[in-house]
Amino acid sequence: MTNRLLNWCFKKSIWVYHVNAGSCNGCDIETVDILTPYYDTERFGIRLVHTPRHADALLVSGPVTRQVRERVLRLYDAVPDPKLVIAVGTCASSGGIFFDSYATCGGLDKILPVDIYIPGCPPRPEAILYGVAEALGLVRPQIKAQTYVEA
Amino acid sequence: MLDDVISELKEVVFCLRAGQVTLGYPFRPHSPEPGFRGVPHLDMEKCIGCGACANACPSRLITLSDHDSYRTVEFNLIRCTNCARCRDVCPEGAVTMSQQFETAAPSLGDLRISLQLKLVRCRECGAAIETQRMARKVLEKIPESLGLSPQEVSWLDLCIPCKRLQALHDPVLAKDVTS
Repeated sequence: MTNRLLNWCFKKSIWVYHVNAGSCNGCDIETVDILTPYYDTERFGIRLVHTPRHADALLVSGPVTRQVRERVLRLYDAVPDPKLVIAVGTCASSGGIFFDSYATCGGLDKILPVDIYIPGCPPRPEAILYGVAEALGLVRPQIKAQTYVEA
Repeated sequence: MLDDVISELKEVVFCLRAGQVTLGYPFRPHSPEPGFRGVPHLDMEKCIGCGACANACPSRLITLSDHDSYRTVEFNLIRCTNCARCRDVCPEGAVTMSQQFETAAPSLGDLRISLQLKLVRCRECGAAIETQRMARKVLEKIPESLGLSPQEVSWLDLCIPCKRLQALHDPVLAKDVTS
């Protein structure tokens, strides 16, 4: 019962802490875009906060460089449970073109459990909005694996 | 005092005139502008498995692997930066850039495309040469005016080392070399 209540509350108002883990700033600009009146994420109760201790979700962009790895782990620990981890951009999702670089960890999922991946270079503001809504269970995933075997 | 009220009223008028500026996006569909590049779309019927896209991809997300009688072409789209180089190099026009941008997925497996194409194996040593679709393409491109003998056409299903050996033992070619 308390769990269900918690889940319900969690979905109604989600406060996000944004981490730049070595991003080129493309994804960050798109993330800031969704806070403007045009996209207006506050209608879903989503807003950026200035400290991880107030946050419900960690929104990470960038391929997680070696320098920032420890900081991201500390930020993750600072976010109170229950928490969401959102990987924004191709780099955060998998490392992107830096996937085999010695200077990066090659994606956020190498160091943290990721709840939702939002690939794109950078993802459109709509794509980020869709991804967050998907993480909250408001919309369904649209992309599916495709397989084909020649007969 | 009155000035303040007037300026606030002015603002109200402006806001009312602007109407609703917020996009109704997640509840109403949204289509991106025409030039937008979303995730690549692979036409499974057109792809011949040549691997040009795998060579061109900057994030090396396209892999080719040969096993048994199939060549597997795999797109691991989680690393895709939508640069469209695969589309530019594809000789068959099998890769196109879709307008799909809603690619958010809870697991990495959802962003995979895998395609299995039948292989042609060397009739001498059994090494994988090319896919059957590629072989068909090559046959189509040989002009009839070349007048190739059936024996010469049969070299198509030989791998390069075997082709060399065959050429060495071919009496016609051997004569060419010695004379």
